[in-house]
Amino acid sequence: MDQTDINLLPPEQTPEQGTAKSPGFWAESWKRFRRRRLAMAALIFVLFLALVALFSPAIAGRKPIVVYYKGSYYFPAMGYLKSSWENPIFYKDRFYNRYPKSLAEKDPDSWAIYPLYYQDPYERITEDEYPGQPANPYGDQGSPSWNNPFGTDQAGIDVFAQMVHGTKIALLVGFVSTGLSAVIGIIVGALAGYFGGWVDMLLSRLIEVVMCIPQIVLILALLAIVEYPTIWHIMAVIGVTSWTGIARLTRGEFLKLSQSEYVVAAQALGARPGRIMFRHILPNALAPVLVPITFGIASAVLLESALSFLGFGDANAPSWGKLLNAGRGNLSMWWLFFFPGMAIFFTVLAYNLIGEGIQEATDPRLKESR
Amino acid sequence: MKNYSLFLLVGLLPALLLQGCTFEYKTNSVDDEPFELGDMIEPFDPPTLEELDKEVTWEDGLVIDAMKLDFEAQEKMGEPPINIEEALKLKNKTPEDNEKILDTLGRLPESEEEVDFDGEMIRHTSAELKSTNPLLISSTAEFDIASLTSFGLFSFDRELKPFAAADSVKEWKRSEDRLYDKIVMRDDLLWSDGKPITAHDIVFSWRLIMSSQVPVPAVRSGTDKLKWIEAYDDYTLVFFHPVPLATNIWNVNFPIVPKHVYENSVAEDPTLQTSPYHVKIEEKPVVGGAYEIVERSVGNRIVLQSREDYYMFKGKQVRDKPYFKRIVYRIILDPAVTLQALMSAEIEEAILTPEQWSSNTNGGEFYKHNTKAYGAEWTYFYFGWNTKTPYFSDKRVRQAMSYAFNHDELLNVLLYGLCDPSTGTFHPQSPWYPEEGLKPYKRDLKKAEKLLEEAGWVDSNGDGKRDKEVNGKRLDFKFTILVMNRPDRVDVCNLLSNNLKDIGIDCVVRPVEFTTLQQYTSEHKFQAFFGGWGAGADPDTSENIWGTDQERNYGQYSNEQVDKLFEEGRKEFDEEKRQKIYQEIHKIIYEDQPYTFLYTRNAYYGFNKKLRGYAFSPRGPYHYGPGFSRMWTPLK
Repeated sequence: MDQTDINLLPPEQTPEQGTAKSPGFWAESWKRFRRRRLAMAALIFVLFLALVALFSPAIAGRKPIVVYYKGSYYFPAMGYLKSSWENPIFYKDRFYNRYPKSLAEKDPDSWAIYPLYYQDPYERITEDEYPGQPANPYGDQGSPSWNNPFGTDQAGIDVFAQMVHGTKIALLVGFVSTGLSAVIGIIVGALAGYFGGWVDMLLSRLIEVVMCIPQIVLILALLAIVEYPTIWHIMAVIGVTSWTGIARLTRGEFLKLSQSEYVVAAQALGARPGRIMFRHILPNALAPVLVPITFGIASAVLLESALSFLGFGDANAPSWGKLLNAGRGNLSMWWLFFFPGMAIFFTVLAYNLIGEGIQEATDPRLKESR
Repeated sequence: MKNYSLFLLVGLLPALLLQGCTFEYKTNSVDDEPFELGDMIEPFDPPTLEELDKEVTWEDGLVIDAMKLDFEAQEKMGEPPINIEEALKLKNKTPEDNEKILDTLGRLPESEEEVDFDGEMIRHTSAELKSTNPLLISSTAEFDIASLTSFGLFSFDRELKPFAAADSVKEWKRSEDRLYDKIVMRDDLLWSDGKPITAHDIVFSWRLIMSSQVPVPAVRSGTDKLKWIEAYDDYTLVFFHPVPLATNIWNVNFPIVPKHVYENSVAEDPTLQTSPYHVKIEEKPVVGGAYEIVERSVGNRIVLQSREDYYMFKGKQVRDKPYFKRIVYRIILDPAVTLQALMSAEIEEAILTPEQWSSNTNGGEFYKHNTKAYGAEWTYFYFGWNTKTPYFSDKRVRQAMSYAFNHDELLNVLLYGLCDPSTGTFHPQSPWYPEEGLKPYKRDLKKAEKLLEEAGWVDSNGDGKRDKEVNGKRLDFKFTILVMNRPDRVDVCNLLSNNLKDIGIDCVVRPVEFTTLQQYTSEHKFQAFFGGWGAGADPDTSENIWGTDQERNYGQYSNEQVDKLFEEGRKEFDEEKRQKIYQEIHKIIYEDQPYTFLYTRNAYYGFNKKLRGYAFSPRGPYHYGPGFSRMWTPLK
């Protein structure tokens, strides 16, 4: 930012000079947000889920986190995040994904640190695969037990391991699709609100048209067309169809703020529209827009579960909705819908609580009612 | 003489065993061309009946009342092992239990007084009807209805032996060389609008099927192998075959529609479905079978009612009265919902999945209204490989796939130990299965890897994935397998995907809607898919799965020897020699592995406790003669 630009900034954003800095809008909001216990608990829960997702290969899996083999160190558990990250040497040495035995056979001097919980989200653990661990039960016999605290599904695959690895998708879907819709929504809303007139007229009609597109139908159609449909395609479709709420709110805020003094001042000083919109108005309009974004994350998580429940998710990846779908086939296996159902419930609830928290923390009119 | 489910289409039998199988809609219609009835038939000048009789040595064909035979067989069986109360209380846990239940509850009534002729049965079907016109049927749902409403001349029994139905045929003569079939029909047959059913209806139906502008989806295979059909009077007709083949008998069996209904309207609307007149016929078709459609609400239910003029003629009973007055079909797509409906007696029979059979139907809730039974069914499931893709063109790769797959895990875990391994196109109990037996594939990763290496699929760039140079480009071994969108089937493909990962092959599982699966496979736009076939009544029907460029040869498999053997099999009249030929085909296909054969599935059914008379054939409890017509309910 060059010198002249600083002078263009509206008065409330110029750098304070002299003595104690009074807290800014965001610091103030954060302070207020922190006081809301439920919202904070929800935020901590989401952060916890993020940690689970990030460290899922170290929590549950059958590939060692660290292994010392033939004089080198390897990290095969990374293969859970992306299959090509699993070191090819284990494929070349014919491990067949069974580390404990193969390591002992092929290099007696090797050692390995296994995930906290030796279970695989893709396959049933069989007898004598890991020392001291019995084979997973299958069919309707897999009720929760010491070895499988959340039980196993019909194919004998551990539910807890599937849920840990499914967290990744649940969170990704929320963030990526809502991130995409936020970008589109804010741009469209900003343009419509700032320029008004025929631009507004056109974009508002566009918003209305997009609102009419049924998301699920569009996603199902897309899955039928694309050759290798993955979770990323689903995220993209959710993203490009769910930005309308954000766009409308942004438009409203921009309509209001574009009449304010600092905007008029910036215009008078000859700032370009892009700069005024995104440098000056947007930070002031962001607070109310954050609220539908958090709610959007919640609904994206729900939508992904619904799709997997219908069997249209990524068939290869473990997901919460897929477990629910498996549970539907046999209602006596309560653990197949109880645990993932709870996980979905709490995740969606957490995002909604965060959204509510932001709303109340940033809305000055709600200050008194707190 | 209760043979109203006699009409079965041979060409249809190897149908994709999914929720109702659809076939491609083939229409050759060109809008501005005038309609010509039977334009696909070569002109032929048939001899007169006298000339024919002089020239041909006739043999008697089998004219059978399948129900009467079943009654006779039952008399020889003696008393059932347990009484009905015991059988209804018995829980079906062992093969012996199953035997007892079938032998007791599966019996025909001792006398007609026992039967509740005014009763109703609620059946389950898993797909909506596309059409009520028997010429346009293409899926099992339509087939089921057509088998109750349609009129037909031929059928086959529990052993899949063909016969002419005594309900409609008075006399059947076959020429010694199998070039001619002469039929004398009964003269007491009526359409549901009161007009008599005659030989001219049969000729007309054949010509209608053989009209290029009529969009017949399935039944044309078979009728296209006929040379001519001539009606010599109202009740006598002769089928002319172009060459003497053992399979000729299967080509004379096709659905029959009333001539007087379509004669004048077909030229205007060859689709038989769009003109206002045809729409009205579609709503309430004129039928010749034991039942007629009286009510239809799309996506929900179809109601059939028995026809008095089917079994009564001029005030006299001429055929057996159907055991049910009304048959209601409820349309329910989802297996879990179907089971719920069965348990609450909203439907009275349904297919059970292996999972449902072994774990959800053992409690009092199921046995409150129902009992269950199973029979061996000649149905197999497989992974089909597209042999025209660079991945699966080599036989060694396909064998490697079969070695890489964990068959034990599939059979014991995913299928609850309820299914037997399959080794090829014919069922182990059928006479076409190699006598010496074949060893089902077992998982052997060492062999799989060796075969892949021989075929050139190695990890050349050290990334842990197999690849091969194809047309000067390095191709990673990564393919997609298509599967119908049902959790139990997706699980099977996921197992394959995990198994292949162990040997450096990426397999993406892609669940799709059934119709999408049908479209991709019939257009050969796939690398691999998971599917199933039911048994045809004659082994020759499998030719359209394995013969080069055949209609249902989705994987484009081609082996000259197989083609030649099918050709020979058709020409062979000696039953034993013929069996040997099909055994040979089975062995060649086992060696070539165009499919990885997985398992044969038994027919598992839940039946309401009020039902009696069910008996299983290799095609399940309904699709043979007498099949469904055996079923009855006792008077309360």
